[in-house]
Amino acid sequence: MTSVDEQETQTQLASAASSEVIIEFDKVNKWYGDFHVLKDIDLVVHKGERIVVCGPSGSGKSTLIRCVNRLEEHQQGTIVVDNMTLDKNLKNIDHIRSEVGMVFQSFNLFPHLTIIENLTLGPIWVRKIPKVEAREAAMKYLARVKIPEQANKYPGQLSGGQQQRVAIARSLCMNPKIMLFDEPTSALDPEMIKEVLDVMVELADTGMTMIVVSHEMGFAKTVADRVMFMDEGEIVEQNEPHEFFNHPQHDRTKLFLSQILHQ
Amino acid sequence: MAAVVKSERTAARSAPLSETTVLGWLRKNLFSSWINALLTIVSIYIIYAAVKGFYVWGVADAVWVAKDRRECFDISIDGACWAGVIQWMNNFIYGRYPRGELWRVNLGALMLVLWMAPLWVPRVKDKILIGMSTVFLYPFLAGYFFAGGEKGIFMQVMVTLGIVFLVGNTLNVIIGVSSGRGLREVMIQKLGKQDASDESQRNTILAIFVGALVVVFVLQMWWTFEAVSWTKWGGMFLTLVISGIGIAAALPLGIFLALGRRSKLPVIRVLCTAFIEIFRSVPLITVLFMATTMFPLFMPEGVPLNKLTQVIIAVCLFSGCYMAETVRAGLQAIPNGQYEAAHTIGLGYWGTMGLIVMPQALKHMIPNIVGSFIGLLKDTTLVSIIGLFDVLGMLRSVSQDIPWRGLHKEPLLFGAMLFFIVCFAMSKYSRHLEVKLSAGDNR
Ligand SMILES: Nc1ncnc2c1ncn2[C@@H]1O[C@H](COP(=O)(O)OP(=O)(O)OP(=O)(O)O)[C@@H](O)[C@H]1O
Ligand SMILES: [Mg+2]
Repeated sequence: MTSVDEQETQTQLASAASSEVIIEFDKVNKWYGDFHVLKDIDLVVHKGERIVVCGPSGSGKSTLIRCVNRLEEHQQGTIVVDNMTLDKNLKNIDHIRSEVGMVFQSFNLFPHLTIIENLTLGPIWVRKIPKVEAREAAMKYLARVKIPEQANKYPGQLSGGQQQRVAIARSLCMNPKIMLFDEPTSALDPEMIKEVLDVMVELADTGMTMIVVSHEMGFAKTVADRVMFMDEGEIVEQNEPHEFFNHPQHDRTKLFLSQILHQ
Repeated sequence: MAAVVKSERTAARSAPLSETTVLGWLRKNLFSSWINALLTIVSIYIIYAAVKGFYVWGVADAVWVAKDRRECFDISIDGACWAGVIQWMNNFIYGRYPRGELWRVNLGALMLVLWMAPLWVPRVKDKILIGMSTVFLYPFLAGYFFAGGEKGIFMQVMVTLGIVFLVGNTLNVIIGVSSGRGLREVMIQKLGKQDASDESQRNTILAIFVGALVVVFVLQMWWTFEAVSWTKWGGMFLTLVISGIGIAAALPLGIFLALGRRSKLPVIRVLCTAFIEIFRSVPLITVLFMATTMFPLFMPEGVPLNKLTQVIIAVCLFSGCYMAETVRAGLQAIPNGQYEAAHTIGLGYWGTMGLIVMPQALKHMIPNIVGSFIGLLKDTTLVSIIGLFDVLGMLRSVSQDIPWRGLHKEPLLFGAMLFFIVCFAMSKYSRHLEVKLSAGDNR
């Protein structure tokens, strides 16, 4: 126990802003049955870093980020999130899940609860915050995603873009240290994509650590510190966005970029 | 290409006659072709013949007042003899329950109405609490009313809790509907404590609650009801007791069995699956026979388990297993994303199930739940085969009563109508609920 504490203080002392490591994958492997989805993944994410992950369908992007909060279990290697190793220890998993927010392609709001109830559920039941405080905080986040007036509606009454912003606010209500986004805009009509991306850009400006699976290259260029290209379960190439888009090194990256740019 | 533009507006016209008039409707739906017309005429004739026959026998030529079957025959030889049914009415409802004590049964029924009515009042909060107490408190209170006799300490506690809850809940609802406030608020205000801290308010309420419990407990020690043996229970009353307990037990039992069947732990999963499948693949009547012959073998010496208790346990297990499959189907309708979203905000297994999955699944399941309740209500009549005088048992014993010897048809027909009315109303209501709930869903 003490050694962990020591480590923590050491890293904190050593780190100015972004040198503190918050997620570390070390030789992570995962299989679905016989199918090798993640192959020897090594990845270090620093606090406050914003990473955009792209790659063809089926390359393992979702699987990768779902390993961070253990919606998927890996079979080999170690994953350390917020100084906790992800293993069979359920306490660690619960802790990490409450520190890591996640936004899904299909929103996954709770349809039987109103927007405000969707937002306060976690704080009230997991964080044990009094109802009144939870509501106040939730209203603050709803204002931040620019839909405070929808608080008492049900998710089914909102547009896709609004639902996705509620989903972002719902994650933020838990005060996460890390936010994961799995193709947050790909289920949306084009006119709604911008409103969601705007919210994400604002979130990035607050210094949140973000991993975003997305093919929105404009977003990647303006926000990302690093763009990662995955193919067939490997991280093929990663670089800062300008270099990544203008001077891709690997052939597979070049092919992929040419495909998505010529759509 | 030049644009094509519509130059005039089209005014709204009334619909063609076939859509609006009765004649048009008949023409379109019943006489659209010669074969359709023939079918219509034949069906109308069959319906007419059946209804007329029944009307003549059951209403026009029927005898409503008579002192025995012979008198019925004297008045009208080929009419129905409803007089027997009317004279036996109390037996159909209460069985052989002592006539002087019938008010206890009636009061028990009234309490159930009072208990559950708030569930249908829109402004009432804490409906879950009311629902839970209906399952876990009411049966004990009502059970004591029905059975009477000496109360053990457990029964005393349950009766006390039941009474306090019933009174508190009823007051709460009345105050809530008339003034829009809760009982709690009103009490705080009457005591002039509205400015006190939350904690002192809570303590006050707690003190009142404990005080009420003590008062009721002391009071209830003074009265006991005359014991009425279960062998005297019967008629619709017994049917409703058995199926009511079966229904109340089915949902909680079904939920746990269904969750067990989906559990990640193999031992629990296999046990639950085996349990469910065994009960579901055996007819209820077999389960009932097994219960009355097998339970005594398993029971330790000296634990008396009367036939009624055995039957109730059997019905509970049986209905629980059917409910488990209904619940499982409901759970399967919930997409995986809901579980994942619940996990990502940090909810554990029970939180996810209780707050996210079950509330949604239950909504999907309502029609099926009501369906299995209807099934259970009807199946309960099987207990007459193993010698309990439920409503079917009573209906059949009319013909053994000396003045009414041989009167079979009328009582059974009356029973059929009774069941039809109850079951049809239930299924209509479930249909209504379904529509109402899916309207709120907006998905
Ligand atoms: N539960 C599962 N069982 C078996 N195979 C799976 C499972 N989930 C994903 N896969 C497979 O693993 C591979 C990687 O899936 P993943 O969802 O991570 O891809 P992705 O990069 O997110 O693709 P997309 O862009 O389509 O979302 C795919 O080939 C998929 O078919
Ligand atoms: Mg994916």
